[in-house]
Amino acid sequence: MTVLTPIMVGVIFAVSVYLILGRELKSVCMGMFLLGHGANLVIIASSTSPVGKLPPVLETTLDLSRLVDPLPHALILTAIVIGFAVQAFLLTLLVLTWRRGRTLELNDLAVQEH
Amino acid sequence: MPNHLIILFVLLPMAAGILTILMHRWPRVQRATGLVFLTANVGVALVALTTVYHGVDPSGKVRVGGILVSQMGNWPAPFGITVAVDTLSAVMLAIESIVCLAVFIYCISQLPNRFSGGYFYSLYHLLIFGVQWSFITGDLFNLFVAFEIMLMASYAMFCVGTTRDQMRQAYKYILLNLVGSTLFVSCVGLLYGQLGTLNMADITRIAMTPGALPPTAVPVIAMLLIVFGLKAAIFPVWHWLPDTYHTLPGAIGGLFAGLLTKVGAYVLIRVFVMIFGMSEAVTEVISPVILVAAGVTMFVGVLGAVSMHTVRRILSIHIISQIGYMIMGIGIAITLGVTTESKELAVAGAIFFIIHNMVVKCCLFLCGGLMAEHAGSDDLQKIGGLLCRAPWLAALFLIAAMSLAGLPPLSGFFGKWVLLYEGFRGGFYVVSGFAIATSLLTLFSMLKIWSYGFWSPPAGDHVTAPEVRPRTGGGILGICILVAVAMSMGLGARSYLNVSLAAAKSLVNPAPYVSAVLGPEHVPNSRLVRSNGAGGEPIISRMVDITPKSKPKSLTP
Repeated sequence: MTVLTPIMVGVIFAVSVYLILGRELKSVCMGMFLLGHGANLVIIASSTSPVGKLPPVLETTLDLSRLVDPLPHALILTAIVIGFAVQAFLLTLLVLTWRRGRTLELNDLAVQEH
Repeated sequence: MPNHLIILFVLLPMAAGILTILMHRWPRVQRATGLVFLTANVGVALVALTTVYHGVDPSGKVRVGGILVSQMGNWPAPFGITVAVDTLSAVMLAIESIVCLAVFIYCISQLPNRFSGGYFYSLYHLLIFGVQWSFITGDLFNLFVAFEIMLMASYAMFCVGTTRDQMRQAYKYILLNLVGSTLFVSCVGLLYGQLGTLNMADITRIAMTPGALPPTAVPVIAMLLIVFGLKAAIFPVWHWLPDTYHTLPGAIGGLFAGLLTKVGAYVLIRVFVMIFGMSEAVTEVISPVILVAAGVTMFVGVLGAVSMHTVRRILSIHIISQIGYMIMGIGIAITLGVTTESKELAVAGAIFFIIHNMVVKCCLFLCGGLMAEHAGSDDLQKIGGLLCRAPWLAALFLIAAMSLAGLPPLSGFFGKWVLLYEGFRGGFYVVSGFAIATSLLTLFSMLKIWSYGFWSPPAGDHVTAPEVRPRTGGGILGICILVAVAMSMGLGARSYLNVSLAAAKSLVNPAPYVSAVLGPEHVPNSRLVRSNGAGGEPIISRMVDITPKSKPKSLTP
């Protein structure tokens, strides 16, 4: 888990940077969505390995250090909701761009500018 | 003002935003509602400022360092969500609320029809919601959420009624800011993994305790500098701003110029002066970077402004140049070996400069919008003679422009004077030299707009045609409010500087802030330092501290 998560984060970031650097708006937006998921994985990595730990239900008798830290999960939930809003917004923007210009290529948008 | 009322800074704009969504068919009702809520907002902000500045509420109870703190849901500090208003937040809120009201009055009369119907006013309030939340939050993750709300509203405002050219620029703005936000949320996750807390006061406590900050946290904090630098548009990451802001109409451009980058500058002060300012491991890495970035930002920005030929482009690039002065103050304040008095003065200069710039920059954008309405264009080579055509506008523009350039009786002079005084006294000759050169070039570029736009003989089709008389009453009123605030900052500079100095004092020595949020026993160096939670432990292992009464009822055995 502790080895796998950083590798996954690295791969996801690399793929999304590749997508964002493209000149096609659909791929750029997909890259943005993927980048958000990579960031969520970074947060989950900060809750450390859950192996051998208990779910975080507070009871006074328990040894607190044996519980999984719940806060990163709460953070991720918020981040996912925000990411969802961002995705909805970007997709709407794609539709609008298509309706205005009949193109989703950044270069074409630039040509029609002048 | 009772502590819990500071949540009004979030509730008022949120309520206004939701109400105006419901009223989207009736723009007149939307405007009236907006005016009521924004005026109330100004009132609350001024009450909060007086309460915090005097450190006393009307019942005579003295507060710790004049800080209003409220814990959401009554969860004790590092576990719940903290909102806090100290003098810095209060002074930012006061000026920001006045700017929002003035721009709103301007919007009512000047905004093109394609904007004013439907949901524009809702977006306006939601933007303010995000801005005010980032001013009052005491928690890094909430700061991220506040940024997202503010940016989401600004993305949508960029796209309302766009042409194709604006659409392309909007993509640039949106994508760069989204990458910045993703980086921010990753930093927040990594920082939590290192420190075991995200509460600003709690992180300050860890940074103040010698040896408690793990060395691996420093790269994460340096990454935060990139994130906030992107929002504030400082040197290596500023290129998104000059391409995008000039596509906006004057009113929206004024709002963005007055608020968005200044929120970035505010957060830079909050994070690098207050939270990590006491930690030498952080400041020895950050301060040279900030000082170099400050010099380059201000100089390159103003060179760009000198080379431009349209009013809005000149003003957009100027935003960057002015950000340089603000972070110069931060850079001086966190350099090792600077005396406490110098630190306080440098931060006070930076704060004064931010509030001055919020007002003046916004005012110039609004003037630029009115110039374009009078002359039909804001290309300086096509317009001229506006002095005879709109003498009031000319006078207001001249005051704001001279204030931006920093001529003595006006507001820009005092911020620069404090910064340069500290710069030369502390031996920061290079960056101070750049600051003086930038100041001269600022004057030059402002005079360029003045002499081409107002003073030269009339040119262009629009100006020579006498029948075109745009209605600018509301626009002039909005600008008048801003100019009045700017002049009070110049003529009454002493009181504004005193407030800035009070804010700076509570940032340079954050012990009162920590004590107000976490409780006095948590301040390092006091007799009651606790051994637990020195950093690195996940927050759940500190949950023992929570007394049973604050636990949710369903969880009690």
